[in-house]
Amino acid sequence: MQRRFDCARLLAHSAQREEHIMSKSLLLGFITYSLLLAGIASVRGEFIALALPFVVYLLAGFLFAPDKPQLEATRHLSTERTSPNSEIDVTVTVTNRGSHLEEVLLDDVVPADLKVRAGQSRHLIRLPKDSTYTFSYKVTGPRGGYGFEMVKAKINDHLRMTSREVQIEAKGQLFIFPPVTRLRHVAIRPRRTRVYAGTIPARVGGSGTEFFGVREYHPGDPVRAINWRASAHEEDILYANEFQQERVADVGIILDGRLRMNEFSHGHSLFEYSVQAAAALTDALLTQGNRVGMLVYAAFLRWTVPGYGKIQREKILYSLAHARPGGSEVFSDLEHLPTRLFPPESQIILVSPLHEDDLKPLVQLRAQGYQILVISPNPVKFELSYLTKNRNVDLAGRVIQMERTLMMQRVQRAGIQVLDWDVSEPFDLVVKRRLSRPPAWLRAVGR
Amino acid sequence: MTIVAFVFSVILGTGSLAYGYSQAGMPDPARWCVLLGIVWILAHWRKYYWFSGLALLLTLAAAAYGVRHGFTTIWMLLGALGGLLGWDLSDFAMRLSYAAPTDDIQGMERRHLERAGIVAALGFGLALLSLVIHINRLAFEVAVGLVLLAALGLTRLVIGLRKY
Repeated sequence: MQRRFDCARLLAHSAQREEHIMSKSLLLGFITYSLLLAGIASVRGEFIALALPFVVYLLAGFLFAPDKPQLEATRHLSTERTSPNSEIDVTVTVTNRGSHLEEVLLDDVVPADLKVRAGQSRHLIRLPKDSTYTFSYKVTGPRGGYGFEMVKAKINDHLRMTSREVQIEAKGQLFIFPPVTRLRHVAIRPRRTRVYAGTIPARVGGSGTEFFGVREYHPGDPVRAINWRASAHEEDILYANEFQQERVADVGIILDGRLRMNEFSHGHSLFEYSVQAAAALTDALLTQGNRVGMLVYAAFLRWTVPGYGKIQREKILYSLAHARPGGSEVFSDLEHLPTRLFPPESQIILVSPLHEDDLKPLVQLRAQGYQILVISPNPVKFELSYLTKNRNVDLAGRVIQMERTLMMQRVQRAGIQVLDWDVSEPFDLVVKRRLSRPPAWLRAVGR
Repeated sequence: MTIVAFVFSVILGTGSLAYGYSQAGMPDPARWCVLLGIVWILAHWRKYYWFSGLALLLTLAAAAYGVRHGFTTIWMLLGALGGLLGWDLSDFAMRLSYAAPTDDIQGMERRHLERAGIVAALGFGLALLSLVIHINRLAFEVAVGLVLLAALGLTRLVIGLRKY
């Protein structure tokens, strides 16, 4: 999508301020008047002669001082939505509506975290009256939402005796969405489904693909539905196979962005993996027709109201683009998870490295009737992957991994489905192996 | 182009001062002037642009000292002029360092050198003229009054130009 952002006029929207370059004229003024005073004091005309080149320089500088600049700028981005580390062309056009400007230093303010890959965001130019100057450069950056605000222009005269700095509004927005891994199928089994046809077994007999039960044959049922083996047990009753209806469901995805869960030593973070998993699950579940909402649980709550389809996908990706891990006293554990946001008995998918303290809130959620799936990027294996290998590290890793395994077993015993994800493995492969169909125990209990 | 002009200006300024001082029988200060020129060029090469302001003040102080003690004025004047040009070109070189490789650097250099050259020539011409013209029948009080008037006029002119 390409879109042009019209600029606002400089006089209306830009801030102007005189710069500290006045120190140059101050120095010259000081020299000039000192020489004049020295000439008077010593009664020597040679001092006046020494001062004259400085006087001429000073006057020439002020004579050719730039007028109040009237600049306009437009910005054009080659795309507004892209994936991390792909290159985006930024084109800025500056038009001079005022008088001739001899020396203009244009400096396009690039948002922090974006890097200029090719070209320059700063140019030193001459801008005659009613002329236009266009420059382009390429930027790249990590996941996030970025706003381009303005172009800074520093205008000097020939000798830089006076200098003005103006900020020209030239807005633009860039969203770098997390990469979305395509998942073929994510098997979930919430207790309650919605009325629309979908892919999730609804625990209600009807048309479908999965065998649900046997009932008495009714006129109108297709002959092929007759269960001949069951019917053979009775003389005058025919039985028909019934299949499980497949419908869509409400799914709430909770992305755990708590700082203490995601940040590790040496600046390593698991959060990007969690975001990738959340994006992939969102895409898969929305493609299956489900109603999906997203809660980012970090320094504050960022809630995306549940919805269907591509627009909802955009909304959630937008939320994920802005998601940042953060710490807060209130949201330091999952106790304050706002469960009312999620429809009763719906499916909740928690993407979190998990901590011992999270077990209790998860069990409570389960007790409230939610079907819970925990996608847990493994922090132990992640940390071991970059730590220097030695005996102590290995031993510590084994101990912590055992503790984690025990915790996972406790979570599973509470009826919560857990996917322990070693982030060195691609997420789609792990999902294909572990989540392409519901676990046997879940199918057995039917809950 | 700018760097050549800068080096030329520094050599002109410090060389003139050194020659003027050595002519006056002061070889040590002359050597100091040469050393100042070398240090200035080295500082510019190392991008210590702030040194140019200091160098300008030093060359001017040396020129004023020479004038005060009756050294040949033309060398002192050339010293001050060279200092002024060196200071201006050093500042211009700093501004050029912000330019992108695709910008019209050569055009900007050419225009700046033209204008700086005109300003320097005009200043030097006026200074020479002031040295040549002598008004013998002027009382001291009148001369002081005229200089003060010139200073006041200059101030008003600068203020007027800045408003303009």
